[in-house]
Amino acid sequence: MGKRPPVVVLSSSSGEDDGGGRRGPSARRSRTPASAPARSQSQAASGSRKKPRRESSAGRGRRRCSEPAASDSLKAEFDMLSEDFSECFDDLGMSGSIRKTKELWVDKYTPRSLAELAVHKKKVEDVKKWLEEKLMAPKTIRDTNSAKTNLQQTVGGWTLVLTGQTGVGKSATVKAIAADLGADLCEWTTPVPTLWAEHLHANSGLRYISKLEEFENFVEKIRKYAMLRPTSTESKRKLIIILIDDIPVTSGNAAFARLGKCLTGLIQSTQVPTVISLTHYHKSESNDTAMWNSEDLESLLQGAGAHKGTTNFLQIAFNSVTTNSIKKILIRICREEIYDAPEELLHQIAISSGGDIRHAIMSLQYYCLDPRRHSSALATSATRAGSKRRDSLVPRQESYGLSSALPSPCGRDETLTLFHALGKFLHNKRETNCDVDIDLDPFPLKEKLRRNSLKMDVPEKILSQAHGKVRRVTDFLHENVLDFIDDEAVDDAWAVVSYLSEADCLLTGSPFTSYNSENMAQLIAASVAARGVLFGNAHVAPSRWHTIRSPKLWQTEQSFRSNKDQVLKERFDCSSSCGSCNFSDIVTEFRPLERWIGPRNDGPRSSLLPGTGGSLLVDELDADGSHDEEDDDEIEEC
Amino acid sequence: MLWVDKYRPKTLDKVTVHDQVAQNLRKLVSEQDCPHLLFYGPSGSGKKTLILALIKQMFGAGAEKVKMENKTWKIDTGTRTLEIELAMLSSAHHVEMNPSDAGFQDRYVVQEVIKEMAKNRPIDAKGKRAFKVLVLNEVDKLSREAQHSLRRTMEKYSASCRLILCCNSSSKVTEAVRSRCLNVRVNAPSEDQIVQVLEFIGKKENLQLPAGFAARIAKQSNRNLRRAILFFETCKVQQYPFTSNQVAPPLDWEQYVSEIATDILTEQSPKRLYAVRQKFYELLVNCIPPESILKKLLAELLKKLDADLKHEICHWAAHYEHKMRLGSKAIFHLEAFVAKFMSIYKEFLVASFG
Repeated sequence: MGKRPPVVVLSSSSGEDDGGGRRGPSARRSRTPASAPARSQSQAASGSRKKPRRESSAGRGRRRCSEPAASDSLKAEFDMLSEDFSECFDDLGMSGSIRKTKELWVDKYTPRSLAELAVHKKKVEDVKKWLEEKLMAPKTIRDTNSAKTNLQQTVGGWTLVLTGQTGVGKSATVKAIAADLGADLCEWTTPVPTLWAEHLHANSGLRYISKLEEFENFVEKIRKYAMLRPTSTESKRKLIIILIDDIPVTSGNAAFARLGKCLTGLIQSTQVPTVISLTHYHKSESNDTAMWNSEDLESLLQGAGAHKGTTNFLQIAFNSVTTNSIKKILIRICREEIYDAPEELLHQIAISSGGDIRHAIMSLQYYCLDPRRHSSALATSATRAGSKRRDSLVPRQESYGLSSALPSPCGRDETLTLFHALGKFLHNKRETNCDVDIDLDPFPLKEKLRRNSLKMDVPEKILSQAHGKVRRVTDFLHENVLDFIDDEAVDDAWAVVSYLSEADCLLTGSPFTSYNSENMAQLIAASVAARGVLFGNAHVAPSRWHTIRSPKLWQTEQSFRSNKDQVLKERFDCSSSCGSCNFSDIVTEFRPLERWIGPRNDGPRSSLLPGTGGSLLVDELDADGSHDEEDDDEIEEC
Repeated sequence: MLWVDKYRPKTLDKVTVHDQVAQNLRKLVSEQDCPHLLFYGPSGSGKKTLILALIKQMFGAGAEKVKMENKTWKIDTGTRTLEIELAMLSSAHHVEMNPSDAGFQDRYVVQEVIKEMAKNRPIDAKGKRAFKVLVLNEVDKLSREAQHSLRRTMEKYSASCRLILCCNSSSKVTEAVRSRCLNVRVNAPSEDQIVQVLEFIGKKENLQLPAGFAARIAKQSNRNLRRAILFFETCKVQQYPFTSNQVAPPLDWEQYVSEIATDILTEQSPKRLYAVRQKFYELLVNCIPPESILKKLLAELLKKLDADLKHEICHWAAHYEHKMRLGSKAIFHLEAFVAKFMSIYKEFLVASFG
């Protein structure tokens, strides 16, 4: 409880606690109450900052330490948040109406039976069926004579890969099913890591073992164990499921190749049902190495599975939990906790969690700790909703929708894919009723400048959610926007393109050394581009299916560069005056005429430019083909 | 050898088109000292010819022995080492290069080259003319940073190195650089002058020129002497003896631009704009400078435009030419100009024909 300065809490010790304490039911039960707040803090932090949870705890500890120091404002904010938390959890320990809670609700309400799972029934069914099949199969096979051949065939067919975003209940499903089937769940409990820095600076005799090495050892053990298993007597044979939840984060190709080899070996040799759960991170967080990892891992696993045919590898993708089932769970928890939460609050939590049930429960608990909080949060949301859109059609729905966009302290930041964001800008969905109170506006706009309000968030917010590089966003907008403009509206096209042109100038104006998209000029440029597209496109073309093309500009620029290089390389051998000439003169004057008067040369050079120029002037090439011979003669005599 | 090279005047005495300028330059050099020079003028007006002749005047025939090399400059920026490859022509007395080919790293090149030239300063036995000449082409394409560093290095090494800068428009060279140079304006030759040159070449080549032939080429060349000579030679290759109404084949990219202009004038819609964009891409891939495209396009559009609109269209062309220089992706601005034109033109059509 005394871990007051939150920065201390963030140090690697809490990370270790987190990393070690999370695994396995036994560890969970043995945790002392004192460690609960520390854990919840770090978890809450990970929730609110949308850090991938399954980072290696070493990395997490380090990063946490340095991050608050990086910016003071961030630190202050963070301190406040975590103080809130520890305060609330202190309350929880000492007094209050909900003091019977000893655990986090996330743990307390871990689904123990299949019925409690919030995951879609069909998926649970699938996983269960698979596990049952695998667990029961050996028994029957062994009795028959064909056991060996059958076993040979099914070798490698022991792996199930679960994919899905964080907090959709992948592990929970496996655990619940294991409990249901009465099987033992064998997990890889991540050992407390030695930090690399520790290893370097403290001669404490700690040997540094990378996570990857440990994982390799573990896999090796499983494989040996699997070999031993059939010798055990049948009656005592226990059902065992291996759950690999925490695949080490690798960086660099060498490490990844090692991991790949290790996993491939595991998949191909294991004879115990093995469940590998892979967390999908959101695509747009592409800067994160973890995400790179998860995608590559998936393809790698697929490759490993496909190695011996398609039947031996099953992949089940979990979708994010629907708002309704999250709500259902939340209501159930509230009932059991005898806490009377308004439905609206639950709805808000369910929506803002983005399908992450763990997160939803965490936020619920947080809100329930302090009754004042949720009322104030709701109050602000209500006033906002009221002030903004009093004339909305379905008041209840509308206020729900708005409140999800509210900056609540526990909300999970949503991320969007780049294409989603582009789609929002391009389709330009607006309210249809235009009788908004114009007269009340102190600065009435001209008719042609007025637009209906957008049916989306502020463009800047969408941009920041999409994590797109500004340059890329503008290029994409430029490539695609013309499709979305009504065919009659050239004026709109001009407005849009002129804004894009402004954005380009802004982008170029910013110093080229700062590539990070946080740069002010870049942000402004992005805003100009997005808003320009939204504003300029006043007459949206009737909505229909458009594919979003990748900018042809990139291709063009690439071939431009290669052509330019070629021209520069060749300029000295076409003529001595060319050599000292400006590039533009060569291209605009010498090259086009070179076909006639250029130095005698092999045929292909006589076309405009290698590769690309063909289409420009193919027809004329044929016409002058007959002149080639006399051409050569003339030049020689010069 | 192309006629452009063959009939290039080698000495200042033989310069015919800008003989006045040439005389002045000769006087300047004969006084043993030479300031930094900035030659500016439209392309094909004879800047490079004057520069080469001037260098020959300064150093004699030794300056004509030129070797070309692709030199890799290793530049230590403090944090990392850049390697920039740049082609350069050099003789014992001068170095010529296009620093803007190095793209945004141009400023390093400018500094480094001048520094290196200053280091191995040629020592003349007589102790005079102990400087080298550095010819920098396309100074107007240099980035602002490069021009600034040019200014500093110009002062620092002025004892050992003379700069001859060459560009199309002096307005794109910073004031600081301009004021440190003697500015020499080389204007485009008049059509009469071009005709004279063409006739001179015709005589040397023993060609029969039909009446009006040289004038037609001169007109077609748009007062660009280099282009005129190239056209002339092309005509010769295509068909000799010349027929009375023979014209040089139009430059393919110009033809393409005029196609674009026709496209724009026939239909004004976002769809057409998109089609035009693809054509622009085609031109850009072929390394046609966007400024030339815009200029040619404007010329083509103006031909077919009502007098009322000309002013406005020119205004917008200038506007987007400027934007193009500020920005980095030319297509955005080219397209914006076309869109604006379409918008204006459509409005005009609706107003005049309903």
